[in-house]
Amino acid sequence: MLDTSDADLVKSAQGGDVSAIGELYDRHHEHIFRYVCSHVRDSHSAEDLTGEIFTRMVTNLPNYRPRGVPFRAWLYRIAHNLVVDHYRQQGKHDLVPLCHAETLSEQDDDPGSIVEQRLTVERVKHAMARLDPSQREVVMLRFLVGLSLREVALTLDKTVAAVKSLQHRGLLALRLALQQE
Amino acid sequence: MRELEDLLQERLEQLEAGAPLEVCLAGLPEEAADLLTLSATLREVDYPTRDSEVVAAQRAHLLKLAAQQQEKPTASPPQARRSGTRLLPRWLQPLRAFSSVGALAFICATIAVAVIAIAWWSSRDTQVASVPSPHPTSEARLAQRPSASPTSQAPVVQSALPLPTVESTYYVLLPVISGPEIRDPQHATLREARGLVQVQTDAGAWSTVNTGHVVQAGQRIRTGRLSSVKLAFYDGSQARMGAKTEVSVDELDAHRSDGSRVVALTQWHGETDHDVVPASAPGSRYKVRTPSATAEAKGTRFHVLVTADQITRFNVDEGAISATGMNATVTVVAGQSTTVESGQAPSEPVFRITGEGQVTQIGATWIIAGQTFLTHDGTVIVGNPQVGDWVFVEGRLLPDDTRIADWIVLLRRSAENRFTITGRVQAIEDAAWTVAGQSIVVDDETDIEDDTEIEIGDLVRVEGVILQDGTLLAEHILLVEEQPGLPFRFTGVVQEIAEETWTISGVATTVDEATTIDEGLAVGAVVQVQGWILDDGRWLARTIRRAEEEQCQFEFTGEVESIAPWVVAGISFETDEWTAIEPGINIGDQVRVKGRVLEDGTWLAAEIERLDQDEPVLQIVFVGTVDSIDPWVVSHIPLAVDDETIIEGEVAVGDLVRVTASILPDGTWLATRIEPISVDGGGLGCLYITAVVVGVSPDQLELLNWPPVDLEGVPVEGELTVGSVVMLLVCVDTDGSITIVRIVVIYQPEPVVPPPPPAPPVPPPPHDDQNDRVTICHKPNSKNPHTITISRSALQAHLDHGDTIGPCE
Repeated sequence: MLDTSDADLVKSAQGGDVSAIGELYDRHHEHIFRYVCSHVRDSHSAEDLTGEIFTRMVTNLPNYRPRGVPFRAWLYRIAHNLVVDHYRQQGKHDLVPLCHAETLSEQDDDPGSIVEQRLTVERVKHAMARLDPSQREVVMLRFLVGLSLREVALTLDKTVAAVKSLQHRGLLALRLALQQE
Repeated sequence: MRELEDLLQERLEQLEAGAPLEVCLAGLPEEAADLLTLSATLREVDYPTRDSEVVAAQRAHLLKLAAQQQEKPTASPPQARRSGTRLLPRWLQPLRAFSSVGALAFICATIAVAVIAIAWWSSRDTQVASVPSPHPTSEARLAQRPSASPTSQAPVVQSALPLPTVESTYYVLLPVISGPEIRDPQHATLREARGLVQVQTDAGAWSTVNTGHVVQAGQRIRTGRLSSVKLAFYDGSQARMGAKTEVSVDELDAHRSDGSRVVALTQWHGETDHDVVPASAPGSRYKVRTPSATAEAKGTRFHVLVTADQITRFNVDEGAISATGMNATVTVVAGQSTTVESGQAPSEPVFRITGEGQVTQIGATWIIAGQTFLTHDGTVIVGNPQVGDWVFVEGRLLPDDTRIADWIVLLRRSAENRFTITGRVQAIEDAAWTVAGQSIVVDDETDIEDDTEIEIGDLVRVEGVILQDGTLLAEHILLVEEQPGLPFRFTGVVQEIAEETWTISGVATTVDEATTIDEGLAVGAVVQVQGWILDDGRWLARTIRRAEEEQCQFEFTGEVESIAPWVVAGISFETDEWTAIEPGINIGDQVRVKGRVLEDGTWLAAEIERLDQDEPVLQIVFVGTVDSIDPWVVSHIPLAVDDETIIEGEVAVGDLVRVTASILPDGTWLATRIEPISVDGGGLGCLYITAVVVGVSPDQLELLNWPPVDLEGVPVEGELTVGSVVMLLVCVDTDGSITIVRIVVIYQPEPVVPPPPPAPPVPPPPHDDQNDRVTICHKPNSKNPHTITISRSALQAHLDHGDTIGPCE
């Protein structure tokens, strides 16, 4: 089912409302960045890729048609394709670093909290690197980005059943990886 | 395992819906509880925040880009009917039409009229007041300009042209509305000409014309196959002629007395789409005559088809038209269709169904997107679709619930059981070739490029289908080495023939002494061209052959020059959401583009793939169903796998997978990658259904001839009332379940004014028995009512002008 709010914004944007583009960006850029961060080594590359994803969103939006495919899944498919391409260009098929959380400490004045959060990010980072790529992608889209099962299926061109299975196996593998650290 | 997966997902959905973690954990097995907790923790991980300056810069860049896109004169929306490019029904295409040139002209004209009207009113008010404001508004400033000319006081412009005396307005709008193609009510300009477009000269001969040509009343225009053109009228209205269409321009004018617009066309055969700008002047007309009927519209969007046997069909996408034949007239509203056979009255309008989906049955009865359609003698079926293919369908819903298909157009072949193999030819026999150790069957349908020249040892690329028994049947065999350039082939219409260059569907194609050309080809012929793109950019034809009906495909290789819009090797083409575009293609990359030439001449890409310089040649890619996993067998083909084989995701027997394999010297197929693919997003397709609302409640919608629709969670655009015409986007999943994606009100009938309640019985008036006279209170005006006695026969006339029965009080 369509996300009505996104659908309305898309409709406005397709009708020429430039501000709707801004609203779509505001709404999704953080999560897109988070998703990209999950795949690239440094935040600068993540910023560049995020910008490129939204540029493609704007250029391709006139051709977007819902047809039961939510806008978010469509957007993340663009992101997924770009990330895959980034891998190909970098020749790092198995590299899954999270962006360094350098900005985290600047925003939180509680030293205890900083350590705890940084550790959590680091642990997730290392554990995720040990997952099978398909499982890792599903776990990222489901729990880091927050897509629904169906949206992940549409994004990755897989069946819902396959995503459900990958989700389960991915969480199992992640739990094991975290325990082994 | 499946139960655990389902249970975990169930609790995850509860968690995502906002239920506390503790509640979601209740009763879960330990492992599932651990995973649920882990997933909740993952969601709470704090990630790096973005640099606000970068965010602001990116946002600004996007807004600028979006604004530039708006300003860019984009190509008109792909309205080619039955072309498969029409992604939305036209009654849902205002968004696209908004960006079209025609709509832009309409908007500009509207703005012009609005601004000029404001100027005029301001001018008039200023003259009346005679006291200009010390800080005049822009409108007032316009009004303060000299306005001695009587034309400046005309309340409405007579055409879209601004009044010359309203200079500022004129100057402001000049860049927007000035243009060479329109503004003259007695002429229409041809736009977006594709393929072969001809206009009849005074002497009766046909002259080939192009975009920018101007026509006037009395002229005829026709298009060839794979061709189309638009007629742009002065007020922004436009008529698009499809392929093999002939139209006479009967009248073009604007009456100076009231600004009414007059456009009258006769469509002799073919298809036209009309986008008619609303005209407020009462005398405005926009008429399309056909051999069997006439349609008239005020402001609407509609389609006209005239078949070879002179049957006319009118489809309305927006607003309403009146269709007349044999002195009978019907009103056809958005979403409806009427058919008029020669010598008969128009049929009762019926609602239409359009959409696209997978074919699961063919024959007299088709099943498309899970829905049954009956075909009839007039059903046009394009591309020979087969079970499993994806098609566009347009049809009608008859009052007895029967769905009739009028058009079925192949959009894409089923991805299943297709293969591509590149390798050296090892044997050539009549019924089979051996390529890279594989026996490949050829038949009469196999298209073999340079079949007389391919020899054993040549490198070829073979595309085809994998039959049920695992046989590889070749559809195309291409020679892929020792060529003077990058290969191409396409189907197009011959527009011009010169000694060294043929213009074919806009492509300047070089011919030389080595080019093989079928005899008898002339301008207007539809041909298939094969050849090479040379280093200097010329397209050198190796063969030019008369094309078969179903050969409207193209394939070429070249450098990407532009991506939005797509231009490769100098050729512009379109894409749609089904175009398989390899991710990450950039300008400058070498790509192979394959697709279909649509009926209107548009090149629609089905696939754009980047050519890898070090692409292994002995490779095969195919899509098939997994027969077995240990050992691997896909579509009856045994596959070897090793440690380097990438197997994406969870693959099970019965899944559809794409296999990339290397062919080893012993003929073994070593899979390098096996990836599951979902068929078309996992569904059978989506249909656009139009229907009239017969009942509405907060949670349910009742439609004529359709089961009730549950409204919960379904986005609705427009106000649902009884009598509304709505369009439902209905998607069908593989299990047959139906999802209503959205509902749009596309036509709202005129509000019905209830008849006044019957007048209360008139009390018996005071009666003069002697003369049958009545005493009334006569009120010739409000100040002087007085009592009079009148004849009973005059009573009603007095009551009508306000008198009352009985003496005045």
